[in-house]
Amino acid sequence: MTARVAVTGLGVVAPLGNSTDELFASLQAGKSGVRVLPAPCSGPTGSSIGATVETPACPRIPETRLRMLDRVSYLALVAAIQAVEDSGIDFNQENRERCGVSVGTGMGGAATTDEGYHILYAERSDRIKPFTVIAAMTNAAAAWIGLEYALTGPNLTYSTACSSSAVSVGEAAEKIRAGRADVMIAGGAEAPLTPGVLRAWSAMRTLASADKVDPSASCRPFSMTRSGLVLGEGAAFLVLESWEHAIQRGVKIHAALSGYGLTTDVAHITRPTVIGQASAMRAALQAAGYSPTDINYINAHGTATLQNDAVETSAIKEVFGPRAYQIPVSSTKSMHGHLLGAAGALELVICVGCLERGWIPPTMHLDQPDPACDLDYVAGAARGDIPLRIALSNSFAFGGTNAVLIVEKV
Amino acid sequence: MSTFEAVQSILVDEFKLSPERLRPEATLTDLGIDSLDLVDLIFKIEDRFGLKITDDVPRSLATLGDVAAYIDVLLENQSTGGGIQAGTDRSS
Repeated sequence: MTARVAVTGLGVVAPLGNSTDELFASLQAGKSGVRVLPAPCSGPTGSSIGATVETPACPRIPETRLRMLDRVSYLALVAAIQAVEDSGIDFNQENRERCGVSVGTGMGGAATTDEGYHILYAERSDRIKPFTVIAAMTNAAAAWIGLEYALTGPNLTYSTACSSSAVSVGEAAEKIRAGRADVMIAGGAEAPLTPGVLRAWSAMRTLASADKVDPSASCRPFSMTRSGLVLGEGAAFLVLESWEHAIQRGVKIHAALSGYGLTTDVAHITRPTVIGQASAMRAALQAAGYSPTDINYINAHGTATLQNDAVETSAIKEVFGPRAYQIPVSSTKSMHGHLLGAAGALELVICVGCLERGWIPPTMHLDQPDPACDLDYVAGAARGDIPLRIALSNSFAFGGTNAVLIVEKV
Repeated sequence: MSTFEAVQSILVDEFKLSPERLRPEATLTDLGIDSLDLVDLIFKIEDRFGLKITDDVPRSLATLGDVAAYIDVLLENQSTGGGIQAGTDRSS
């Protein structure tokens, strides 16, 4: 990745806010979007926690279309529309074959799938809704965004579990760099807070148990007391353009997407490796032409699972050597939860916003550090007044796809 | 409520169409009701009228008036024990 790609639009629908301004106000204040979920996610058999989105209104989406949209596509559309409006792009002025969409999602239309099973198995009816396939299909979100703006260039969906949208953004940038597109709406969306999905994750013993005193403090990355991840819903999108295209339009460039590293762990279907994570970070640095000393901030994958946080800490030390201790590393998942397929895009938007705003979001609920996790995790409070030019965002996944993105201030 | 009014109310409540567009001569095409919407509409009609429509819906249904007339025929057949299965229970 030698040529920089311009980030010209940002949009978020997240547990911490439905605009970038709201999101960054929440991050700076260390707020948490994690809460006890209402029925049917919580019930007589126990309560579930999750990081939820206050469903935003979106007048641009006609009411007649809502019947066809799973929640994941709705959240995606709203965030993508925000990003497009932020970029100021008018697709009527563009060659639409040179404009595309790139979406990451892990589970696609999970609520629709869940509802279909309910009708079939619980209600014992054969009357699955006729929109089930188009609402549940993994590429629905990307398709609706493409239809919204009539973009006839690439329309792609990547599903690599928790790194899906780091991959969708990285691959969109590669499309632009390769000269195959001028503009890509790239990001991710996830809406996993359904009883079926929650129970499935719970069965893996990867979910955090609810903090008895304060459920909003249940996600504790790098802490001795961490007990797993907290699922979150939401969507985050970026408008990416070739540098020349952005300059020609004369628009504000939020940041340069300068590095993308992609490697795969092959040791185990879920267990991460130091070497795999480290190799992805190295690949991103190399693609951007940076040395490890150039990085000012790392937004960690930081899921708060026992495995990930220790392995990621070791991988950062492996890549950055003794300097690892001088780089602020934070896991914003402590506040917005794990958005699975939307996590990479949301955390990249956070990196871009931090470069623009000049401060770093904290890792919350980290009162008792794990001795195996001994870096500077920006515990407890946001930090300003530090040189902030280049930020790196880690995304690692079940299935092994490690994706790392780097953004630089312009 | 007449059959036509019942169809009208389904389209307003569930399909979010504006009532003034829902005249008997309005065509499904003009209302933007495609083949998938029609399947969805049939499901809702079955629920509303306690019908179970096992035959394929005729392709000749062009207007809302046609749809209402079709339902009336089904209801008539149901009451006379004609070839349409009737039932009020979704699981029947």
